[in-house]
Amino acid sequence: MLEFIAFVNAIAPLLNDVLLPAELSGNIQIGLAALGVGVAALGAGIAEGGIGAAAVGAIAEDSDFFGIGLLFTVLPETLVILAIVVIFLVQ
Amino acid sequence: MNVISRDASNYSYVNARVRSRWAALFGEEEYDKLTRMGPSEIARFMEETEYGPEINALGSRYTGVDLVEYALNRNLARHFEDLLEWSQGTLYDLISRYLRKFDAWNAKTALRGVYSETESTVIEDDFIHAGEFGERLLTRLQECAAVEEVVETLEGTLFGASLQDALDDYEETGSLVPLENAVDRTFYDNLLRGLNATTESGTREFVKFLQAEVDFRNVRNAFRIARSGGEMDPADYYIEGGRLFEANELASLVGNRDELVARLRDSRYGDEVGPALETLESTESLIGFEHALDAALLGYADHLSHVFPLSVCPVLAFVLAKEREVDNIRAIARGREVGLSQEEIERELVML
Repeated sequence: MLEFIAFVNAIAPLLNDVLLPAELSGNIQIGLAALGVGVAALGAGIAEGGIGAAAVGAIAEDSDFFGIGLLFTVLPETLVILAIVVIFLVQ
Repeated sequence: MNVISRDASNYSYVNARVRSRWAALFGEEEYDKLTRMGPSEIARFMEETEYGPEINALGSRYTGVDLVEYALNRNLARHFEDLLEWSQGTLYDLISRYLRKFDAWNAKTALRGVYSETESTVIEDDFIHAGEFGERLLTRLQECAAVEEVVETLEGTLFGASLQDALDDYEETGSLVPLENAVDRTFYDNLLRGLNATTESGTREFVKFLQAEVDFRNVRNAFRIARSGGEMDPADYYIEGGRLFEANELASLVGNRDELVARLRDSRYGDEVGPALETLESTESLIGFEHALDAALLGYADHLSHVFPLSVCPVLAFVLAKEREVDNIRAIARGREVGLSQEEIERELVML
């Protein structure tokens, strides 16, 4: 994620100078940050797929696992929350 | 380790369920309690555990050791059917290949039963309904009158061809060993056939697991042959596919137990089988030796399932552990029935 921010930061002034007027380059920054959120959400989804399958398996055997299964399933969600922070960083 | 499986195998789901059932297997404490109980007490104790549904279902028809025995077989079949029901993709394929082992078991049960002229209902009770053999085939098998007839009935199955070949040997020697061995060998030959271990993910671990099993079986067979003192050549009974021994090598190692133990200790199985090998060195009896080998294989299976958590290994290790538990409980129930002492029964158990 940090590399991505660095990449956006590095490329933005470049685009700014050469190609684009000021108001457009700001939009590109936010757009790329939003893309970052999307990619992070995709990664979280993939991770949750495996964990969710395992959690459902465990709950099927013993319903006491429900709480802890739910907790583990949504843990990768923190990735997305961290990715949203990026939007505020570039704004 | 594939986190996103490419072949739609649901490793994470199946393994979570398997782990949970694994945790329900009996530990030392339960075995300790069981060895002190009488047959009917054992049945009552099992009612409280995960054998409950089977004990309840059969409780009105049988009592004592018979009840325990039938409940064990049913429970085993239920668990293994569940495994097939849960799994998908390559995982399903691999598990169903492995569960053909119960076809081999059923074929051997039929052979032995008919050979020893056991009643057909008794043979039926010993079948485990977990493989590919259908009800109809099993019924036909139990009604056979002669060993030749069993071989004929099995003609259309996986074991048909090799049993036919072994029939001459059987007629010559009058011993079941060639036929039983033919069944075992066909099973192991087919287990690995058509699997590409180097490229396909998932099958790699399967092959590793089976190589270990084949290696241990080879050792056991070789020792049995050496003990029986017959003229049989160990190389004839060698199962292909293991990694530890070559056919000719095994024959020479059999005569020398120390060398064999040293060989096992230096092998890849060394770390896991260490404690079992100590028993190996100290016991003189073949049964003690075999139990130590079984425990060593269980230990190695356990190790593999930790090294490859998202693979078929935990499932196969569960199958092994479950079978072992069923054998143990049966040994305890039978042992108590004939009045063996606690120490004698404990010697019959295979524990990690």
